[in-house]
Amino acid sequence: MSGLSRFARGAGRWLRQVAALVGKEWRQLLRDTALVGFVVFIFTLDILIAAGAPELDLRSAPIGLIDRDGSVASRELAGRLRAPYFDVRAVADDEAQVARQLERGQLRAVLTIPHDFERAFVRGETAQVQLVVEAADSNLGYLVASYTERILATLAAEYSLARTAVVLPEVQLQARYRFNPALTEAWYATISELLTMITVASILLPAAAMVREKERGTIEQLLVSPLSPLQIVLAKVVAMAGVVLVGSTVAVGLVMHGLLGVPFAGSPLLFFSLVALYAMTASGLGVVAATFARSSGQVGLIVLLLVMPITMLSGTWNLRESMPGWLQVAIDLSPLRYFVDITYGVLLKGADLAAVAKPAALMVMLGLAFLALGTARFRRQFR
Amino acid sequence: MPGTDTSVAAVRPAAVSTINAPVVALAGIGKRYGRMLAVDDVSLKVERGQLYGLIGADGAGKSSLMKMVAGVLAHDCGTVEVFGVRIDSERAAERVKARLGFMPQGLGLNLYPELSVEENIDFFARLRQVSAAELAPRKQQLLEMTRLAAFRTRAAKNLSGGMKQKLGLVCTLIHAPELIVLDEPTTGVDPVSRRDFWAILAQLIDAQRLTALVSTAYLDEASRFDRLALMHVGRVLAEGEPAELVAAAGLRVAQVQAEPAALAQLAAHFAQTEQTAGAGRVVVTADDDESAAAAVRAALGSDQHPVPKIVITPPDLEDLFVARLQALDGAATTRPAPDADGRFKPNRNQRPAPASERGSAPPSEYNGGTHAIDAQSLTRDFGGFRAVDRASFIVRYGEIFGLLGANGAGKTTAIKMLTGILPPSAGIGRVAGADMRQAGQAIKERIGYMSQAFSLYTDLTVMENLLLFAGVYGLTREQARSRAQWAVALGDLHGHEREPAGRLPMGLRQRLALGCALLHQPRVLFLDEPTSGVDPIGRRRFWGALRRLAREQGVAILLTTHYMAEADLCDRIALMFAGRVVADATPAQLKAELTAERGQLLEVSAEPPLAALAALRAGGFAEAVLHGRRLHVLAHDAAEAGTRIDTALAAAGLAAARITSQTLTMEDVFIHRVLALEAAALARAAA
Repeated sequence: MSGLSRFARGAGRWLRQVAALVGKEWRQLLRDTALVGFVVFIFTLDILIAAGAPELDLRSAPIGLIDRDGSVASRELAGRLRAPYFDVRAVADDEAQVARQLERGQLRAVLTIPHDFERAFVRGETAQVQLVVEAADSNLGYLVASYTERILATLAAEYSLARTAVVLPEVQLQARYRFNPALTEAWYATISELLTMITVASILLPAAAMVREKERGTIEQLLVSPLSPLQIVLAKVVAMAGVVLVGSTVAVGLVMHGLLGVPFAGSPLLFFSLVALYAMTASGLGVVAATFARSSGQVGLIVLLLVMPITMLSGTWNLRESMPGWLQVAIDLSPLRYFVDITYGVLLKGADLAAVAKPAALMVMLGLAFLALGTARFRRQFR
Repeated sequence: MPGTDTSVAAVRPAAVSTINAPVVALAGIGKRYGRMLAVDDVSLKVERGQLYGLIGADGAGKSSLMKMVAGVLAHDCGTVEVFGVRIDSERAAERVKARLGFMPQGLGLNLYPELSVEENIDFFARLRQVSAAELAPRKQQLLEMTRLAAFRTRAAKNLSGGMKQKLGLVCTLIHAPELIVLDEPTTGVDPVSRRDFWAILAQLIDAQRLTALVSTAYLDEASRFDRLALMHVGRVLAEGEPAELVAAAGLRVAQVQAEPAALAQLAAHFAQTEQTAGAGRVVVTADDDESAAAAVRAALGSDQHPVPKIVITPPDLEDLFVARLQALDGAATTRPAPDADGRFKPNRNQRPAPASERGSAPPSEYNGGTHAIDAQSLTRDFGGFRAVDRASFIVRYGEIFGLLGANGAGKTTAIKMLTGILPPSAGIGRVAGADMRQAGQAIKERIGYMSQAFSLYTDLTVMENLLLFAGVYGLTREQARSRAQWAVALGDLHGHEREPAGRLPMGLRQRLALGCALLHQPRVLFLDEPTSGVDPIGRRRFWGALRRLAREQGVAILLTTHYMAEADLCDRIALMFAGRVVADATPAQLKAELTAERGQLLEVSAEPPLAALAALRAGGFAEAVLHGRRLHVLAHDAAEAGTRIDTALAAAGLAAARITSQTLTMEDVFIHRVLALEAAALARAAA
């Protein structure tokens, strides 16, 4: 018998063993109604909810108006604070009452227009208005203030133009929004949500499966059988990455592209291959997490602790460039950081393999490191 | 023996002062979980002052029944009355809860592991609103009776299994209930602690005037009860006083010494036979000793040389239970009856494994020679605790080797080192000739392992489990299918192939686990408490399969068990104590050693047993132990001892006892050995 055919037989056996374990994982998952429900939810309904919920625009913010001037200019100003951004309500000129309304969240901000507003305005003097903003939600507070500021600036410019009748040099900005021409929030929001959910599922599913084997003692039966730690770990990773791949296909193809009209500019083959790679990378992290946990409760907490920073620091919800330097280093260890670039690149920008090769390579390296760590720790945890 | 329960009840003032109604009265009760009928038309009565036993394997319905009595589970039909109160609503259950104590199944499950012994007791006392004035003396008394007083400050999680159960009992008794319901308090507890637990319970029942409803899966504990019900799949098979049940069964046990060929003939005639080297044990349906002996002689044939020696003895409860189960099995024709010697019945499509398949080569092929397992000074430390201490033993191919020991003696750790799950801290464990520290995949293919807990996938079906492990062992699809069929036949699992493993009764689960461990035809088999919780028939079938594997295929089998009756079936036994192997011999040798050292076993029947025990201990039998309602003493000279026993009893004002000579069991060997070792360890610690 030649060495080659002996090797082929050995490899066939090796793969048969892994295949048996992968099949087992799928069967077990399918019989776990709660887990199946969870997976179905995060790849369908959850994405739909994300499409509708997180408006980063200002919508119908309730603004209280105290107009002490009662002039044409003040009414003009009030008129410009309009729907859909603002919902202007006249409020009583009573400081205590206004403060209470701000406290209760009935008003986002209160705009006070003083007596001599129009006079100053018409004369070209500096007119003063007061805006009190409820900034408990600082982002929203910032939006209210900046929208109001922009409206005031436009109004002031128009008045001064009408008064001086001098033609001033003008710069007109012509913005073209590439990859999302209409700046549709849902595109960005659903992709972010999908990335988060892929991460959660990829880490949680293999970690939970691994800990369940420890809890029920089934792991011992695997330990005494002729399986290497790599085979056991790999089977978990492959099986759960497969589940995530199917889930992502449904989420991207059916829910996002089909239902919500999110574009799919790049190659589906490239995208889903990279999803599988990412899922395996994150699964490796799940396996590592499972080696530290003794019970399902513990693994749940560890996964929570992992997922939070990974998503917060990945640039899904905020900009990497705006973080402090030490955090930026930590971000480089988050596999999601690379997958974010890949996903936006392929889905929206139509990037090809060459364009995403670098983040993909870094991600795979990270994945291999997780897998190596998980495999090494897997054996050690029983000693 | 008959009538003892009524006499016990009669002397108790509590029984006189209350109405003579039963404490627990169940009439036709049933309980269903989904499609499964857990309790089916059960009626029974527990009288005041009784120690009432529910005996049966896992899934017999004992726990459901006890929970219904304790008022924590509603019944579907029938009536439950406790203290004369009909339990038909939450409110009714609340009315009796103050008067009863319930200890759920599971070692220390009702305790808080982080709290100390005293904190646990105080917590239960507060829960039950026991006043501080009442608590202090009661706690002191209970702690002293259970000998836990020295461990007040120890956290519950650091107690041994036996101590946890004793603490559980104290917590159950802290509000001075009149009825206690204990669900399998001795399961998973080693024989020494078990015997201790029963002795304490007997004292408590006597001192606190309790009524107790206790369940157990160990049939050899049955003789400890005043009255009992044998349960099987939700039904009561037999109910009554143990002695009456045995007397009314119409069964005799014949111990036969004859040629192996003649013994094999017995198997064809009697449903219950067991064979050990040169001797057979047969259960005969007969109303007296003579006709039983005649039936055995007829079965053996008249031309036997030498003439077989036949000794007729009364049956024990296990014989009775098995006979009843066999009658049930015979009535339900769907399940084949076990083979005469308790083997799995060979199935029509079960062929002997072809020699061409892997692993069926003769043992001599392996470079380990005839030594399947060779443990050399195996040692394992967990932090500062030495779980296994220089354990050495050898197991040969074709041998069934039993590893016995109390909880925490190091049995499971030793097995884990030999299967390569745990690396030893020192020493070498060789299996099939290879050092398990560097165990490669090749060596793992020669090992089969069944761990203590059921370690198959409960959410996969029987067939899926089998095919999974076939795949894990790298079998091809065709090999896997044929081996899976073989395992189904071996375990008599026909008709269950598509059932989830989690829904199988204990006995079938264990046989499935055995099948999974044997799919790849290992040469060495490790079984860690393989039969705990399995009904007697299931256990006998399991042992039949083991014996066949060892004898016919030369498989080496190393197993641990808490059933001392099973220890008798091993070819060789190593007794472990505090991590060390303290004895390594055949069961017969171990028994002979004890006889030579301490004398023969005398069973003393005297009433009341507790007073008699005290009298004997005062009269020079310091090591007398309570065994059920009888006392066991060891003595070299039976006649001389008999006189001393009668003198001791007379001095205490008790009637003369009936004394019979008994054969030693492995339980006697185990308990005497362990107690002697414990005493020596204590003496060393004191010095």
